[in-house]
Amino acid sequence: MLLYLKHFIFAFIATIGFAFLFNTPKSALLKSALAGAFGWLLFIASDTKTGSVVVSTFLASLLIGLIGEVYAITDKKPITVFIIPGIIPLVPGFKLYYTMISILEGDLLKASSFGSEALMITIAISGALTVVLSINSFRKRIMAKRI
Amino acid sequence: MEVNEKKLLNMAIFAGEIMLKNGAETYRVEDTIFRLCRSRNVSEVEVFVTPTGIFASINPGVENNENIITYVKRIKSRAIDLNKVSEVNDFSRRFVEAEISIDEAMSQLKKIDLLPHYPLELQALFGGVASGFFALLFGANSMEFIAALVTSIVVTLSVHFLIKMEFNLFITNIAGGAMSALIAILLSLVLPFTEVDKVVTGAIMVMVPGVAMTNAVRDSIAGDLVSGLARGAEALLIAVSIAFGVGFILRAWMFIKGVGL
Repeated sequence: MLLYLKHFIFAFIATIGFAFLFNTPKSALLKSALAGAFGWLLFIASDTKTGSVVVSTFLASLLIGLIGEVYAITDKKPITVFIIPGIIPLVPGFKLYYTMISILEGDLLKASSFGSEALMITIAISGALTVVLSINSFRKRIMAKRI
Repeated sequence: MEVNEKKLLNMAIFAGEIMLKNGAETYRVEDTIFRLCRSRNVSEVEVFVTPTGIFASINPGVENNENIITYVKRIKSRAIDLNKVSEVNDFSRRFVEAEISIDEAMSQLKKIDLLPHYPLELQALFGGVASGFFALLFGANSMEFIAALVTSIVVTLSVHFLIKMEFNLFITNIAGGAMSALIAILLSLVLPFTEVDKVVTGAIMVMVPGVAMTNAVRDSIAGDLVSGLARGAEALLIAVSIAFGVGFILRAWMFIKGVGL
């Protein structure tokens, strides 16, 4: 439990740091950090249960997308503002960097393993976000038809 | 209401340019330009957006094609500034719903374009904090946390300086990578219990192209294949240049240590 709390706080602060770097509007700073922290929490919990990084990333991104969508509706801001800082803890920037380091070192086996993992994680994040956005645009179409 | 279509298209493209330069997704930029033009009863609007340029045509006449207007806008630099994206989004909602004149709209957009960033010191500080806590998330100890924090502050400042001096992506990221490796090595000599690897991975977190990579796949899934490929290439280039910078310094350090001992 304490471990989860620690992870939650670390992810929260790290996401706020990135929100500042991305010049997130002041009113959205804490909200995007909250999305990032809850996403990371779900990732850690799911990763220890299932042991699959890709599945955990997908679930966590789905949660971040949903939180972002709720805030986008209540605050009337584009969803990008909430999810871009939020997904930062999940994105495999390091994996891509390790891939390149391995290639420079001539270790192609390691490079392909890191590279394919990075690709799968990226697809998991993007897929989850696309699912959330598609559901939202579906909802908007239905609302538009009723009016 | 009589509308000058050329001015309208010019204004819509400018709105799109601000969004694209500051990290909005391709579909959002296309959608914004489309809505802005359609809101003033332009019958046909075609927009094609890639990360390096915007192409848009409108056809003001209903039946004939004699007055088609086309505008090509080249986009040279991309950064992430979510405040501006959000402001332009608000603006387009206002413009579509209310009767704002195009000159008024243009001056509002110019104001948005000049909106300030958070002050540089604050950005560097929070970049450092972000890197430090990322190092902790990936299992660093408290000494490594401090090292990553300091390294990242210096790296954020110097990368910002290089971007301001208009160096290109490749040079900026090589320098950033080399800088973070160099400072991490120096700090590991001073601080006890620090592994250079963990400090470097924390510090380069402010540069790694995670967002570019995710947006690349998102664009591809949405069907914007050209944008997807372009963003993917950008992400790969950034990753290569960081690895190049870091790898060079680490190799040089190993060489020096090997000779010294």
